Amino acid sequence: MILQWLILLSPLLAAPVAFAAGRWKRGLSGIIASLSIAISLAISGITYFGVVSGITYYERFTWFYNLGYGIYIDHLAVAMVLMVTFVSLMIHLFAMYYMGKDPNRHVYFAETALFTAGMIGLVISSNLLEFFMFWELVGLCSYLLIGFWFFKPNATAAAKKAFIVTRIGDLLFLIGLVVLYQGLTASTVVATSQGPLNIEFLITHAGSVLNALGRTRLFFVSLMLLGGAIGKSSQFPLHVWIPDAMEGPTTVSALIHAATMVTAGIYLVARVYPLFVASGPDMLYILAILGSFTALFAGTLGIVMNDIKRILAYSTISQLGYMLAALGFYGVYGSGVIGLSVYQLVVHAFFKALLFMSAGAILIALMDLRDVRKMGGLWRRMPLTVTLLFIGSITLTAVPFTAGFFSKDAIISASWSFYQSGGTYVYGLPWVFLEIGSLMTVLYTFRMFFLVALGKPRSHLAEHAKDPSLVALLPLAALAVLSLIFGIFQGSFYDFVNGSALVLKSVPISIEIIPLVFLVAGVFLTYFIFGTGLWQKVNFSAVPGYRTLKNKYYLDRLFTNLIAERGILPAAGAFGRFEDSYNSGNERAGRGVLSFGSYLRKLQSGIIENYFLVIVISISLIFIIIDLMGGF
Amino acid sequence: MIDLAAIFALLSALSVLTFFAGRHSSAFAMISSAVVMVATAFYVAITMESYTGGMIGRYSIVLNSAQGISFSIGISGFTAPLLLAASIVFPLALFLSRGGEYGGTFYGLMMISETGLYGVLISRDFMFFYIFWEVVLVPVFFLITLYGGVRRQSVSLKFFVYTHIGSAFILLSIFSLYAYYFAIYGTFSMQISSLTDPAFVSKIPYFWQIFVIAGLMIGFLVKLPTFPIHSWLPDTYDTAPYPVTVIIAGGLSLMGGYGLFGIMLRMGTLFPLVSLWFIIMLSLISLVYFSLTAMYQYRIKRMMAYASAGSMGFVTLAFASGIMEKTGTDYVLAISGGMFQIFAHSLIIALLFASIFYIRKVSGNDSIFGLGGIYREAPLLSSITLGGLLASLGLPGLAGFVGEFSILGGTFQTIGYLIFVVIFSMIITASYHIWFAQRSLYGPYNEGLGRIRDLSRSEFIVLGSLLFFLLFIGVFPSLFFNLFSSYVGGLL
Repeated sequence: MILQWLILLSPLLAAPVAFAAGRWKRGLSGIIASLSIAISLAISGITYFGVVSGITYYERFTWFYNLGYGIYIDHLAVAMVLMVTFVSLMIHLFAMYYMGKDPNRHVYFAETALFTAGMIGLVISSNLLEFFMFWELVGLCSYLLIGFWFFKPNATAAAKKAFIVTRIGDLLFLIGLVVLYQGLTASTVVATSQGPLNIEFLITHAGSVLNALGRTRLFFVSLMLLGGAIGKSSQFPLHVWIPDAMEGPTTVSALIHAATMVTAGIYLVARVYPLFVASGPDMLYILAILGSFTALFAGTLGIVMNDIKRILAYSTISQLGYMLAALGFYGVYGSGVIGLSVYQLVVHAFFKALLFMSAGAILIALMDLRDVRKMGGLWRRMPLTVTLLFIGSITLTAVPFTAGFFSKDAIISASWSFYQSGGTYVYGLPWVFLEIGSLMTVLYTFRMFFLVALGKPRSHLAEHAKDPSLVALLPLAALAVLSLIFGIFQGSFYDFVNGSALVLKSVPISIEIIPLVFLVAGVFLTYFIFGTGLWQKVNFSAVPGYRTLKNKYYLDRLFTNLIAERGILPAAGAFGRFEDSYNSGNERAGRGVLSFGSYLRKLQSGIIENYFLVIVISISLIFIIIDLMGGF
Repeated sequence: MIDLAAIFALLSALSVLTFFAGRHSSAFAMISSAVVMVATAFYVAITMESYTGGMIGRYSIVLNSAQGISFSIGISGFTAPLLLAASIVFPLALFLSRGGEYGGTFYGLMMISETGLYGVLISRDFMFFYIFWEVVLVPVFFLITLYGGVRRQSVSLKFFVYTHIGSAFILLSIFSLYAYYFAIYGTFSMQISSLTDPAFVSKIPYFWQIFVIAGLMIGFLVKLPTFPIHSWLPDTYDTAPYPVTVIIAGGLSLMGGYGLFGIMLRMGTLFPLVSLWFIIMLSLISLVYFSLTAMYQYRIKRMMAYASAGSMGFVTLAFASGIMEKTGTDYVLAISGGMFQIFAHSLIIALLFASIFYIRKVSGNDSIFGLGGIYREAPLLSSITLGGLLASLGLPGLAGFVGEFSILGGTFQTIGYLIFVVIFSMIITASYHIWFAQRSLYGPYNEGLGRIRDLSRSEFIVLGSLLFFLLFIGVFPSLFFNLFSSYVGGLL
């Protein structure tokens, strides 16, 4: 068991070491961080074989009061931890090239190692509160890394936005935890020895949790946990932070905002899935509709972005939507949907990391020029990088026989079966959203790809772009290979994660074919417009809806302008001004007392006759009063 | 053999000697308080190793048996961490003021107020409790009025009047209890444990019960502070010199919290229900009001003053709803959480004011708009400030979270979905903390500040170890949380 702890401890301890060593010799930090993650990966591999042979690594200690901490590695966790360590290692290796010249790269590597530790800790933690602690740790690392180039105003503003928006989700998650914890601690259903927030307990005794809390409160808990997932996994409507987060270094975007951290929300739902199931079918429908809506919604936004990283960011949101939606199709496969969702999650991590890192390689060659309209003709100039980008793109758009095809097609088919099992049109909505979403995926991906790769260079920088060295591209190549071939593990992956065989339901061929039709149509359409240079002649702003899309459905404006600037800030101003006047009112009251005192002081005139007069009057008054009251 | 009475005697002697240390008074005070800190840490570690509840190390010297006055001291699982916090905060404040900028009187007054605070926390007798309570306030009044910034006279007067009104209420309540104790039992007693015994208090006439409870509550709530009686706080924090702000925020806030949980808690069953709801409402108002008001401030010191007041809303919330629960795990959670919050808040706010002090010192500026991007010039200072901010906004893994979590867990049963009000205030708190960090620590450097220095090695070690301690508490909260929960469990 001590070995499994090392998965977490290795990068956790490496973070300060990498920082200290990096202060002395900058180059060391990257090596130390990568090494520590390689160790984690190796141990995860060993653990994997342990889990295959039927062991569940579970150990817990008391943290404080009746809360515990520890590790819990089952099928789901080991699959995640393998993905996290592998992708993180690849990105670290690439980052040694990408961040190679940054003067603060020791800080960078310390923070990414810490982040990886946080992510691993989140995945293998045995207690939801411990989970939350790591959840916040990765959020903090994300904040620090988005603002890594602290001198860029955009970067710090984006970091702030990311922190606050995810914090909203996190606090919803916290409410969920609190209510769950309170309900379980107070109830007699749960033996205290089991520990109220232990994940193992929650997922094996979802029924007693339901008994302890009651349906309504459990529904509320799930809803709040989902709120946390929405914030972290940037689902509608808390998705606004992630496109801005692209201001950070591209390797950070690849690691945190594409492959690992943003999937934590999905992982949370998958982790405590029995609670969501116990909350009733409404909860599951919310998952399905929210995920599928986000998939479509973010896809439409990806089409109009010009910043290559933002296109990928919206793509990430959209793909996360598929994962969340998959978790809603409980009615189709039972708990088997976890496999469906996590498979998409893992495949997505591979190809999205690949896409981001090839974009990063392009950005280095182009001196951080991110506008796809200013690229063009790069396939000829950077053949290797753009080929990798191409592999990423075809996996993203689910071209047959890439891994993305297997992962996403299964989800879309499941959504059709979901419609069939539900019966009413309401249940058909996820299917509609996901289908159109897949068309959007094709459109934004190939728009980006054609603009980057084909045509003539449209800027001076693009004209002189060159491939980075082969060594730097090796990690990308590894990811590319996985993106292409990972599909062959589809069945075995489902079975592994679910712990039981999953038989995919067949859907009519006419339904099955729709994504392919969309794919072909989308590729032709985008090639026609963006591959040929036609787009330069089209006036897009005349297209209806373009302005709405450009303004991201005005949601960013709603959050920053309406809620923050017109709601919170004026409220703060009102409170602040009230406070000021309250304070001065206090002081006026104090001054009033003082001046009253100085008025009374005038009575002490020091003239003996006056005193005598007062004495005489007072005594006579007293006598009069006594007389009036009846005399002595 | 370390002993509570010995530490206290040593502290008192050293604090008097500080006045006569002349030009070495700064070093003398710093070393003395550090010695006291180490001694306290050892004492707490030894005494609390196998703590299971109740008072430990009770001493009692009967001074006047006819009038029931005795000098008795002792610590419990609740006061031990607070003592530790107090003994950490004072050396920190003295470290900030080192260099002889101020005269011997300054350091002497600081040490006297440490003695007073120590006395408040260890006294088991109302007589000495009250005396030490005043011993804290008077030196602080002089510290502000002699060494403060603009408007120091009026601000120190305001501080004094406010806290003194509170003290007057406390004194009246103590005397009422004292008198009724004699009336009922025929003997005099000033013991806190006998005068706050609910079996006794419930015997006195209802009006006087309410009078006593209200009087003590007002006295302690002023000190915390809570919403309508907080007006002394922002001005005091703002005007006091930074080292004094550190001790007011980090040290004196312990007094109010101690009053609530150390003294009022036993009378909890006698609180009328409506008064508890009243306190809960005040806490919720405090949480929202102070966080929004803090957001409006552009001077960091004032902003953090409101942040400090805001986190006290958690304490009163925990207190009132814990009492309302009366028993069970929710009670233990809420009350221990409130205690933890006092303890953690004291250290966090001390760290924050200390780092703001250095920001002010190196850049000559403490307005959010006047700073900007100082991370480039002073990375160590900025990182520590960020650490303090994160602890203050309640990031898990740092000290602030544990208290907030258990308070929320313990109070949910009582306040129900009003929990969203608390969460709203937490969101606002996070927003302005991060806004401050983004505005003044990161972003492009404000060249108008010129070149500024970073923390020196010794400064970094002091602040860094405090931050490390906060991290340590956050990761291993059970060390202190178990003390609190055993103490609370012992009361049941």
